[in-house]
Amino acid sequence: MTTPAVETINLSKDYGDGRGCRDVTLTIRKGEAFGFLGPNGAGKSTIVKMLTGLITPTSGEAQIFGHASGTMEANRRLGYLPELFRYPDWLTGEEVLAFHAKLCGLDRIASRQRIHLLLDEVGIGSRGRDRLKGYSKGMQQRLGLACALLGNPDIVFLDEPASALDPVGRHEVRELLARLRGQGKTIFLNSHLLEDVELLCDKVALLNNGQVLMEGHVSDVLRSKSNWRLRVGGYTSIAAERIKQVLGLNVVVSEQPSDDDPVWLEIELEDDEQIGLVNYILIELGLTLYEVGKVTSRLDEWFLQAVSGLEHRGERR
Amino acid sequence: MNAVWGLTWRELIRKRVTLMAALMTVVFLVAYWFVANAIASEPQTFPGDLSIGLFSKFISSAMVLTLGFFFGAFAIAFLAIFSSVAAVTGEAEQGVLQSVLARPIPRWKWFMGRWMGFVSYGAMYALVLFVAIILICWMETGVIYNLLVLLKAYLLFASVVPLLVSLTMFGSCFLSPLGNGIGMTMLFGMGWLGSTIGRFMGLGKIQLEGLQTLETITGLIKLVMPADTLQQRMLSELFSMSELNGLINLNRDLSVFSISDVPSNSFLIYCAVYTAILFVGAMTVMVRKDF
Repeated sequence: MTTPAVETINLSKDYGDGRGCRDVTLTIRKGEAFGFLGPNGAGKSTIVKMLTGLITPTSGEAQIFGHASGTMEANRRLGYLPELFRYPDWLTGEEVLAFHAKLCGLDRIASRQRIHLLLDEVGIGSRGRDRLKGYSKGMQQRLGLACALLGNPDIVFLDEPASALDPVGRHEVRELLARLRGQGKTIFLNSHLLEDVELLCDKVALLNNGQVLMEGHVSDVLRSKSNWRLRVGGYTSIAAERIKQVLGLNVVVSEQPSDDDPVWLEIELEDDEQIGLVNYILIELGLTLYEVGKVTSRLDEWFLQAVSGLEHRGERR
Repeated sequence: MNAVWGLTWRELIRKRVTLMAALMTVVFLVAYWFVANAIASEPQTFPGDLSIGLFSKFISSAMVLTLGFFFGAFAIAFLAIFSSVAAVTGEAEQGVLQSVLARPIPRWKWFMGRWMGFVSYGAMYALVLFVAIILICWMETGVIYNLLVLLKAYLLFASVVPLLVSLTMFGSCFLSPLGNGIGMTMLFGMGWLGSTIGRFMGLGKIQLEGLQTLETITGLIKLVMPADTLQQRMLSELFSMSELNGLINLNRDLSVFSISDVPSNSFLIYCAVYTAILFVGAMTVMVRKDF
């Protein structure tokens, strides 16, 4: 069995004021892209900081590729983009990367090549020779990303990597992360941008008040429901009664622009195969079927459903 | 560690600390030259009716140097304090440390690199200032000091730098840069005040009923902030006070700048141990701190 990229067992951090996290157990396999979700103040950054060795856990274990988190062996394998960071603004972008290359133990020639490659890759290019005080927040974020990738790490921890970027920047970062995933790198993505998580990640976990509420593959989360939408002309309640009678399913009118227009129906099936029978019943009743399509569940819906009704300590007054 | 040390020097140069320190030092040295010239041209009175001569020159030189090092002590103290004031909590608040400490570098190496950077920079500035003050004094009074004496005096003059950097970095483990800066400056001021009161008491200018209590208070202040006391020892070594004992009364001419409160060798050992404890203490806190 291969060593997991990240493994935590009952990882806890108690700040003594109710913040922190409790008994977090996670396993992320090598090459996986893992999305870590949760409301503000859920404890996501605390866990990332424990994994990167910035915070000492109160109890539990955390390992990066089999090495205890915070050790030199573990830190050698990881790259980290913190949520709130600032590089010294009296340095140029190239100097920041050159300094971090020294800390990573890269030799001068290798680091020079890698710095130029990364500056191009994150879209900074020749502006890497400018001092950071002239950088926008987005540019600093790009530099942070380059810094995280500098030591060619096996796993990258990204805490809100696209938070300060414009749509183009976000798209570029997403592309870059997809390339990294293609190279077999493990990605730990801590983000509020659920669209990015949905597009990039294989697995997600939802954290609330310091505890993991749910965990699973993104495809399973998105496939958890079989909701269909149908645009039907000449609809009457007889059709709904017939479907109820045959399949035992409820049909809901979700939208009816005006009396003469076709209506939008919504139906939750037990199995996708049932849609054929639904179509047959509607046509048998003499109705006109304009459109049929499966409603794709989105991660944000899943997220909202999962946390709705729960107390979030980040918003506690 | 060398990378961190180098970064610290680059920081102090790029943030214009060097430029400001150099500019203000030049302004001071120009003013100091005028003062030195004025003191050297004024004949000193000396018991035994020798108004001009070797002793007179020596007294002039002692007055010139005491004034120079009075400023010098403040300059290197403020440089040491304000360069290292944000070393731990400040850099964590700014988000600088988070990206660095996740690198494969032990925290103690980061701390050591920063400490060495601040101390070497301060010691270098102290050397430049020391040499400039000595040169101006020599040009105006013609008094040349023994090289070994100068070396000893410089080491004592610069010993304030590791002491203050260690103390300030210790403070920076717990306090914000502003709080730490204010705290350290006030502590330095208290140390200077304690030493000055000690000088006045030595000259017999303070005669109170609670003299014993005052001595205890100033003694405690000097233990916490021994920077000015080290300065006293430096001047004492520079002017070879122990050898002049009974020959001339330099303190009478130096008045409020007198060197009447010279610390013993044991006090120097205390200062070295105190610096080491602060250094190790700050490093231990930094290594265990959550960022």
